[in-house]
Amino acid sequence: MSVRRATYLVAGLALAFLVLAPLTSIDAAQQAGLPLLTDKLWFRIATTVAMFVVMASAWNIIGGLTGYASFGNVAFFGLGAYTAGVVVTNLNLPFALALVLAPLVAAAFAVIVGIPLLRLRGHYFAVATLGVGVAVGEVVNNIEPLGAATGLFLPIIRSDLLFFYLMLGAALLAVLTTWVILRTRFGYGLLAIRENEEAAAVIGVNTTFYKVAAFCIAAALTGIAGAIFAQWNSFINQDNAFAISDNVQMILMAVIGGTGTVLGPVAGAISLELIIQTLAGGGSGSVFSQIGLGVLLAVCVIFIPRGVIDFFGGRSRLSLRYFRQTLRETSV
Amino acid sequence: MSQFTQQVILGLLLGGVYVAVALGFSLVWGILNIVNLAHGALVIIGAYITWVLFTRLHIDPFLSLPVDALALFVIGYALQRGVINRVIRAPLLFTFLLTFGINLVIVSLLLLIFTGDFRSVTPAYSGSGLHLGSIVIPYIRLGGLAAALLLAGILWVVLNRTRSGTAILAVGADRDAAQLVGVDLRHMYALTFAIGAAFAGVAGGIISTFQSITPTAGDPYTLQAFVVVILGGLGRVSATVAGGLAFGLIEVLGQSAPGLSSSYANAIAFVVLVVVLVVRPRGLLGRLA
Repeated sequence: MSVRRATYLVAGLALAFLVLAPLTSIDAAQQAGLPLLTDKLWFRIATTVAMFVVMASAWNIIGGLTGYASFGNVAFFGLGAYTAGVVVTNLNLPFALALVLAPLVAAAFAVIVGIPLLRLRGHYFAVATLGVGVAVGEVVNNIEPLGAATGLFLPIIRSDLLFFYLMLGAALLAVLTTWVILRTRFGYGLLAIRENEEAAAVIGVNTTFYKVAAFCIAAALTGIAGAIFAQWNSFINQDNAFAISDNVQMILMAVIGGTGTVLGPVAGAISLELIIQTLAGGGSGSVFSQIGLGVLLAVCVIFIPRGVIDFFGGRSRLSLRYFRQTLRETSV
Repeated sequence: MSQFTQQVILGLLLGGVYVAVALGFSLVWGILNIVNLAHGALVIIGAYITWVLFTRLHIDPFLSLPVDALALFVIGYALQRGVINRVIRAPLLFTFLLTFGINLVIVSLLLLIFTGDFRSVTPAYSGSGLHLGSIVIPYIRLGGLAAALLLAGILWVVLNRTRSGTAILAVGADRDAAQLVGVDLRHMYALTFAIGAAFAGVAGGIISTFQSITPTAGDPYTLQAFVVVILGGLGRVSATVAGGLAFGLIEVLGQSAPGLSSSYANAIAFVVLVVVLVVRPRGLLGRLA
């Protein structure tokens, strides 16, 4: 059996475990000695991991497949969260409606900012999108019906299981979307734009439409995650809905895992989020977890620029030689 | 009318601060092609050095500026030589992420050392200013503007009148050709980043005189430095000066516009950024790319 097949098998088993295990009651899980799922904290962590799988996979569609490194995807997350907040709190409508509206609002916003911004490239696009994330958060923070600086409180729904499954569903949707995109004409168009935009345009790819569409899909997926987060957390404000650190985390996850692949962002999200939780849970406080994150970022960027997914499926071997080679390729 | 004149003067004085912040950022971006997301953190290191010297040794903040420059020069040289040089040929995303990581580490270390408390530098003259009729010009702001313009002059002289400066410009123009004629790339990259960091340190010293500082206070300055460079244009000292002063004016006048306030500072910066990028991508005085 090849390494690739084994990877898929392990991933499938883990998924089946995640989906089925919570269905048995927590007591039964405890008796059977199943790890992880007997603990409320682990439920929270698993839901957070699924949330970052959505965000990293969505980022991968615009940043990894299309080659436009957006640093403002958190704006879509925040817009999704605030859409849910308005629908549930201000309009008193059911949360299910929010799940439909949030991706639409985020996608519409992606079209509005995407058309001017996707003409920019490289640093210009990166910082302009960074500005979008900061500016949208700031504007929301000034709008009175959105709770301004206080934030919005949503009615609490007490069900760890519901939010876990919702996030897991969103994560599967994000991964499946990436998988489908990579097998269509649209996906080949995006890859062509990433490799050489002029050449793509010459052979007939409508680059503006493709880029805006990719941005939209990423925005919609991120918006769903935001909406689920808002109801799950039942409190949103500028700091948790438009967190710049979330923005960088999703990119880092995609990069650690391997950009441009289907499972790379998933691997990155799971491993990085678990590392962050371990660092934060070590009792040493968030300052050390921030330092750890920063150092990890530097080490990953310097030594494994193609992501950990590079080591699966026999493409590369994890060795000192590999590190030395990647270092030589990029340093002066 | 005098209200408007006062706003314009305040705008230009604020612009001076932006010039100081953006000079080093512009140099590093133009020569090394790195958008340094740790720039704001370097600025704040400078601010803390000035604060320590002021509170412990009672040194005037403007006299401590050379100390800021020297300390940040050393830090900057080490950062580029030891870390950033390792990814300098990688795609843009990687240098971007790396500098973000450096920013995170510096901010967290500052938080550990100085805690998150607000710190301020208040020399005896900090409340007084020059009165011209109904118009007031605060002395510290005037000192900041003077220091910023002096910095711009120094940078121009270093780049155009010294051997190292010419080598830096050569590296920026064509790194392979520069290497062929015997320029030591590793050293020149590190030197460029060190000069950029030193300028950031001085900017931090200036900032500490009129704003209370915290470890995260530098973050907005990174975005603002970027906007200034876009507004002025990349690759010339004079363009950065023009961009900084223009941005200071836009910010002060924009915040006094009806319906807006200082809580929209970042949103205003972003709108300026997008408008300039769409309407005039090479900036006010920039060269064609």
